[in-house]
Amino acid sequence: MTPEARQMIEYIVKEVIRRPGTQIDENTPLVSSGLIDSMSQVDILLKLEDLTHTRIPAGKVQAKDMDTVELMLAIAHRVGKPRL
Amino acid sequence: MNEAKKNPPSASTALRPHLTYPLSFRTIPEALEAAPASEPFVTMWKCEEEVQTVTFGEFRALVSGQAGFLRRHGVIPGDTVILVMPQGITLMAVFAAAMHLGAIPTILAYPNCKVDPSKYRYGLSGVSANLKARLIVVDDAFPEQLRAHLSVGDRCNLTETRADLQPPQTPITSAHLNPDRIAFIQHSSGTTGLQKGVALSHAAVLRQISHLATALHVTSEDRIYSWLPLYHDMGLIACFILPLICHLPVVMQSPTDWVVQPGTMMHMISKYRCTLAWIPNFTLQFLARRVRPEDRSQYDLSSLRMLINCSEPVRAASMDEFLIAYRPCHLHPHVLQSSYAMAETIFAATQSGWNGHPDPGRLWVDAGVLRKKHLARPVAPDAPGAICLVSSGACLPGTQIHIVSETGDHLPSGNVGEIVIHSNAMLDGYYNRPDLTANALREGSYWSGDLGFELDGELYVIGRKKDLIIVGGENIYPQDIEEIISRHPSIHDGRTIAIGVYNSNLGTQEIIAVAEVNDDKDLKCAIQIERDLKMSIKVELAIAVRAIYLKPPKWIVKSTAGKPARSTTHEKLLSEHPELSVDTQGEFDS
Repeated sequence: MTPEARQMIEYIVKEVIRRPGTQIDENTPLVSSGLIDSMSQVDILLKLEDLTHTRIPAGKVQAKDMDTVELMLAIAHRVGKPRL
Repeated sequence: MNEAKKNPPSASTALRPHLTYPLSFRTIPEALEAAPASEPFVTMWKCEEEVQTVTFGEFRALVSGQAGFLRRHGVIPGDTVILVMPQGITLMAVFAAAMHLGAIPTILAYPNCKVDPSKYRYGLSGVSANLKARLIVVDDAFPEQLRAHLSVGDRCNLTETRADLQPPQTPITSAHLNPDRIAFIQHSSGTTGLQKGVALSHAAVLRQISHLATALHVTSEDRIYSWLPLYHDMGLIACFILPLICHLPVVMQSPTDWVVQPGTMMHMISKYRCTLAWIPNFTLQFLARRVRPEDRSQYDLSSLRMLINCSEPVRAASMDEFLIAYRPCHLHPHVLQSSYAMAETIFAATQSGWNGHPDPGRLWVDAGVLRKKHLARPVAPDAPGAICLVSSGACLPGTQIHIVSETGDHLPSGNVGEIVIHSNAMLDGYYNRPDLTANALREGSYWSGDLGFELDGELYVIGRKKDLIIVGGENIYPQDIEEIISRHPSIHDGRTIAIGVYNSNLGTQEIIAVAEVNDDKDLKCAIQIERDLKMSIKVELAIAVRAIYLKPPKWIVKSTAGKPARSTTHEKLLSEHPELSVDTQGEFDS
C-alpha cells in the first residue's frame, strides 16, 4: 500500500466514518456500501487533492470515481492538475 | 394568515413579464406547445467539454419521439408510467411525453449500480404495485443485473428508451387532455416503503406556477440553475415544470456530480448568468465550507437575484456563513430568500421577499419558552437562551395558512401549532391511498404535520410533528430504516429506532439508529452486523446511516403500548453516547 493510500484510509476512518473498530482497505466500497454518505465525498475529494498535490478540474470526477481509495487515487493521478 | 399583497417589483424585476400571470394555458402540454421554438430550454452540463443544450422546439421533437415510443408500448390515457432514468434531457422528454398522451408519469431515483437485485426488485415492486403502473421506462445504461431480475407483474412491463427517437409520422395531439385530470405523480419522500404518491392535476400545477411566478416576479430575463434531483418536488416543479410553463431556460447538472464538486454550481451560475436557484439549507454551509477560497474568488454571482432556501428548516447561521464566504462574488443584497414547500402543495406554500420585506424575517425568541410553552416570545439577540428563527415568507396567492392546536382550534399569532394549508394549488390526493388522503386532507385543507407559528404575516417553521428525518433536503421516514434493520436475524424484530441528529458541520441531519440484538453474544459481532445493515439500507433506500448502535436485549425503552418509545430512547442514547449531542447545537425542533 502506498503512503498516499494509507493516509487516505486513516483520514476516512477517523474523520468521515467516525466509528471505532471499522476497518477498510484500498478496495472497500465506501458510498455504494453505505459506509459513508454521498455528502462526505467532497471532504474526501478535498483531502485527496491535498495529499496528491493536485486540483481536479470541475466536472472531471464522478461519484463512481470516489467509491474506493484505489479509484480515487487513480482519478487524481489521471485528471488532476499539479497544484501551483 | 392570508396571501401577501403583491409587492411592487424591485429594480431587478422591473422588466416586463413576457407571460401574464395567471397563465391562460389549460394543460402543461399546451404550455409547452406555446413555447418559442428557437429559445433555449435545457442545458445539461457535465463538464466544460460535455454540455448539451436543446431549444424548446428541439425538446418538443424529443417529446414527440418519446410519445410515439410510449404509445407503441401500449400506454393509453390514465396509465401510470414509472421513469427510472438518470438526470437529463431524455428523462425530461419522456416525462413530458407521458403527460402529452394523457398518461401519468412519475420519477424514481436511479439505482446505484451495486444494488442487490433482489432487494431492488422488492422496493420497485412495492412502488409499482401501489401505483398500478403500466410501464417502467429505463435507459440503456440501466444495470444489466437488475434488468434481468425485474419482473414487475402481469400488467406492468419494463422497457428501455433511447435519446434519439424520431417523432411519429402522424403527430400525436394533446388537445383532448382534461385540465382536471392527473398530470403526474410526485413522491413526498425519497424512500420506498412508505412512499406516498402525490397526485397533481394540470389545473392545480398551472395555478401553482402562476402563483410562484407572481411572487418571484419572473420575467423573460430569468434563467434557472439546478442540481436538484427530478424525483424531488424542488427539482421537478421549480427547475423543470416552472421553466417549461414560463418558457425560461434552465441550466442543470446531476446531483451526484454536484455533491462531489459543489463549486460547480457557482461556476455555472457565473458562466450562464443564472438568476434563480433553489436549494435545501445544508447547501449554504456546503458551499461556504467545501469550496476553496481561491475558487470562490473566481465567481461572479451578480446575476443571481434569488437563491431560495427550502425543504429543510431555514437556519440564520447557514445563511450568514454563506453571505460572508461569497460577499466578494458581487452578491445581490437580497439574494437569500426562503420558502415553505412540499410535494402536497405541489411545491411552494409561502415565499419570502414579495410581501413588503426584502429579506426573510428574523426573530430572536426565548428557546425555553418555545419548547415548553410553544410560544414564540421575542427577546433581544443577546438575551440568555435566545435563538434566531428565520421566516419562510408569506403565503403565495390563493393560499391561506392556519396554525392549529392539538384540539383543532386556530391559534393566535406567535403560538406554535400544526401548520394547516388551504390552497387552490394542492394535491388531489395520495394516489391509490384513500386512507392516507383522508388523514391529510380534511375539509379541503392539508394538515402538514409540521409545527410553526405566524408573526407579522410571515410563517416560521420550527419542526416536524411527525418523526420525519430530513437529510440534505430529502424526507426519510424512520420506519423504512427500522423495517430493514428488524429483518436482520440477529436483531430482535421491532426493537429498533432510527432518528435524525443534526450535524452542524454538514448543516443537515444525519441518521442514527439503535437496535436490540436477540442475544448478548450477538454483540461480539456488532461491527460486522452494523456493516451488513448499512449495506442493506444503502441498497434498498439509497441512503447512508451514520451509525447503528447495537444494544443488549431489553435496552430500548418501551411505551405503555409495548412499542419502542422514540423520544425516551433517543434521550437514553444521547446520555450513553454524549458524542452524539455535540453536533445537535443549533437544533431547535421542539
